[in-house]
Amino acid sequence: MAGGLSLYAEGKSLLHRAHPLTKGALTLSAIAIAFIAPSIGWVLGIGVILLVLVTAAGVLRRLLAVAAAILLPITLLLLAVQGFANANNRTVAFALGPIVYYREGLAIAALAALRIACLVCATFLFSFTTRPADISEALMQRGLSTRMGYVVQSALQIIPQTLDMAGRIQDAQRARGLETEGSLPRRARAYLPLMLPLVLSSLVATQERAMALEVRGFGLPVKRVARFEFADSPLQRVLRWVLIGAVPAAIAARLAGWR
Amino acid sequence: MALSSTSLVFENVSYAYEEAAREAVSDISLSIAVGEWVGVTGPTNAGKSTLCLLAMGLAPHFFGGRLKGRVVVLEKDSRELSVIQRSAEVGLLFQNPFTQISGARERVDDEVGFGPECHGVSRLEVAARVEEAMALVGISQLAARHPMDLSGGQLQRLALAGLLAMRPKLLLLDEPTSQLDPAGTAAIFDVLAGLHASGITIVMVEHRLETLCELCPRVVAMVAGRIIADGPPDDVFNREAVQLRVGSPVFTRLAREAGLSPPWPVRLRDATAVFGRRLA
Repeated sequence: MAGGLSLYAEGKSLLHRAHPLTKGALTLSAIAIAFIAPSIGWVLGIGVILLVLVTAAGVLRRLLAVAAAILLPITLLLLAVQGFANANNRTVAFALGPIVYYREGLAIAALAALRIACLVCATFLFSFTTRPADISEALMQRGLSTRMGYVVQSALQIIPQTLDMAGRIQDAQRARGLETEGSLPRRARAYLPLMLPLVLSSLVATQERAMALEVRGFGLPVKRVARFEFADSPLQRVLRWVLIGAVPAAIAARLAGWR
Repeated sequence: MALSSTSLVFENVSYAYEEAAREAVSDISLSIAVGEWVGVTGPTNAGKSTLCLLAMGLAPHFFGGRLKGRVVVLEKDSRELSVIQRSAEVGLLFQNPFTQISGARERVDDEVGFGPECHGVSRLEVAARVEEAMALVGISQLAARHPMDLSGGQLQRLALAGLLAMRPKLLLLDEPTSQLDPAGTAAIFDVLAGLHASGITIVMVEHRLETLCELCPRVVAMVAGRIIADGPPDDVFNREAVQLRVGSPVFTRLAREAGLSPPWPVRLRDATAVFGRRLA
């Protein structure tokens, strides 16, 4: 059976121990400011800070493996499209016969690629150091309803479960002689006999789970007891506000002419 | 029908699911005393699972449908309490353990604590209950595992632990060992024996008649939504109607085929004694 969608990597770093909301604020503000910042120098700075945090959290190797797979094709595509075909291209960087590559396009592609790198880096830093259950628990402790908390928690589990079920149905149908591999038309024909049982069994499972949740008292109008206390401190609380406040400050600075 | 000291009472209960042409259970009357361990058996579509759903209140609260008669659970009419309210005292273990778990927790011990947390039980109390329930069903060593990484048998134990952590007074078990190997089955039945000894009322749907006869002092045989026999296993499985429509334990069949005169044994120890005498 498949586990959850968690990317969490066990660790005892400062980031692992930080409050999930602090890490959430760090992630969101890093991404937002990377996209608000006007020049490559600022975005590079944010990227360096994120890399330092990733290294400190002990997840650099994991990040590099994932980031390379995501960023390499995107960066190459950006460099090609912008360098060769951006409407503002004027200054030639180099030419290979009739193919001309421009400096303006290279700068735009580099900035866009760095922003995406910051997004990927911040998101995975959060995912590697925070359990999904902790996110919803922290949000519920801040007033998110139990039902919404359950939705957040279960959403992260349901995809691998559904994939697992689809795999089992596919195996069962193959055992009965259904051809699921080969040409595109053959695969398309196999789609319906796979989808129908998947949808039906998902509906049955959903109904049974809804019953099981009632049987366990889910939805009782009682005051929910927090499952555990997250370590928090005045410094983290201040840091959260600083990080959140940095986003509107960056927007204001940008509007005021930050170059 | 007297209601004192009863865990579960069905008074002339008939129930049909919404849009169903026929009743799933018809005119059932049954009284189960506090602390009893009752086995329910019968062929497919006998109404065994519906009996559990009615006792839990899921029928008709969840399924809708038409309910006639009265179901009294722990001295409260089933119409008075919702399933959620009843869940503090009554636990139902479904056939499929996969759908019994919340699907929202990433650790086995967190999953076991889901029910008590829903009931607002204090954190310390939840931790104590989780530890106790996991130890009872033998899954303490799996505490840190992801529930979805467990085998079918482990998942069934987890589902049972989740119910036990709620400390129910009445436990409804719909084929509790359907996913377990013989060793796992024996372990779960040991747990149930312990719970029965501690005074918990157990209603258990089970197809394995030998198991039923070994464990349950009382057996209810159902066919096509009706109770056709109710009593000690020796009595129930020596009735011709039960033998024909529900079946009989292997020891009973063996004794009958060997030409012994009734009453035929229903348990291993009785069969050993009977055949031992004959061989002597």
